[in-house]
Amino acid sequence: MADYDVTFIERDDTEARFLVRGVTPAFANGIRRAMIADVPTFSIDTVRFIENSSVMFDEQLALRLGLIPLTTPLGGEFDEDDTVTLALDVEGPETAYSGDLVSSDDMVQPAEEDVPIIDLKDGQRLELEADAVLGYGQDHAKHQGGVAVGYRHLQRVEVVGDRDEFRDDEPEIVRGVIETEGGELVPTEEFDNDLTERYPDSEVEVHDVENAFVFDVETDGSFDVDTLVQAGIDSIRGRAEELKEAVQL
Amino acid sequence: MSYKCSRCKRDVELDSYGGVRCPYCGHRVLLKERAPDVKEVDVE
Repeated sequence: MADYDVTFIERDDTEARFLVRGVTPAFANGIRRAMIADVPTFSIDTVRFIENSSVMFDEQLALRLGLIPLTTPLGGEFDEDDTVTLALDVEGPETAYSGDLVSSDDMVQPAEEDVPIIDLKDGQRLELEADAVLGYGQDHAKHQGGVAVGYRHLQRVEVVGDRDEFRDDEPEIVRGVIETEGGELVPTEEFDNDLTERYPDSEVEVHDVENAFVFDVETDGSFDVDTLVQAGIDSIRGRAEELKEAVQL
Repeated sequence: MSYKCSRCKRDVELDSYGGVRCPYCGHRVLLKERAPDVKEVDVE
């Protein structure tokens, strides 16, 4: 790959926004797809119901349990199809939360403690054992580590003249991140997505910057954003090397 | 087969002679209890 350059615009544990310059649209989309489909996470795959006197069917509860994000270490501690067992025992009147799940492995825990599973009334009880398995997003959405992963072009805003005195006061809505003439990167939320707020008296032109993409990445809590992006990139690199080896004479 | 009478809530064993009727209170509505086995469900 030729020269490329990454700048973080916003970043915390589960969400990040960064600018990548010098990649083709195809490669940008490859990164997006890798983060969604090719980064494995733990997710409940089999549930053994010992008692379920709640108002919901076993299958419905199993589906809910499958969608609870579980923390997933990606440092090579686990391989694909490795299993971790979790247990839940809650008696009504009480609400069963994801935090009530007890894991057999400290590294694999519910990422959020307050995901409600079901509200149990007096006399109802839920007791179960569940096997979480390490799987890929391309096999089932419950294994997606990256949720709400997307990108759009960086937009360059240029002032081309003064604003016409008698022009209608129409808002000029832009989304994403803009690059000013000074090279400053500004998220559009800072001026309410309305360019006339930032340039009240100027006529502006907005152009997509070629081969510069702003990624918006959010994880489900299985790992932090850095790990997700890194794992997505590693996955592409791994497959590229595999291909290179396969086509060598 | 074990059932539960919906009126007196007692466990009822049915045989082929007695018909569908609670032997304690004569009520004709019986509820089938969930089997005590562990049920395994695949998440799909």
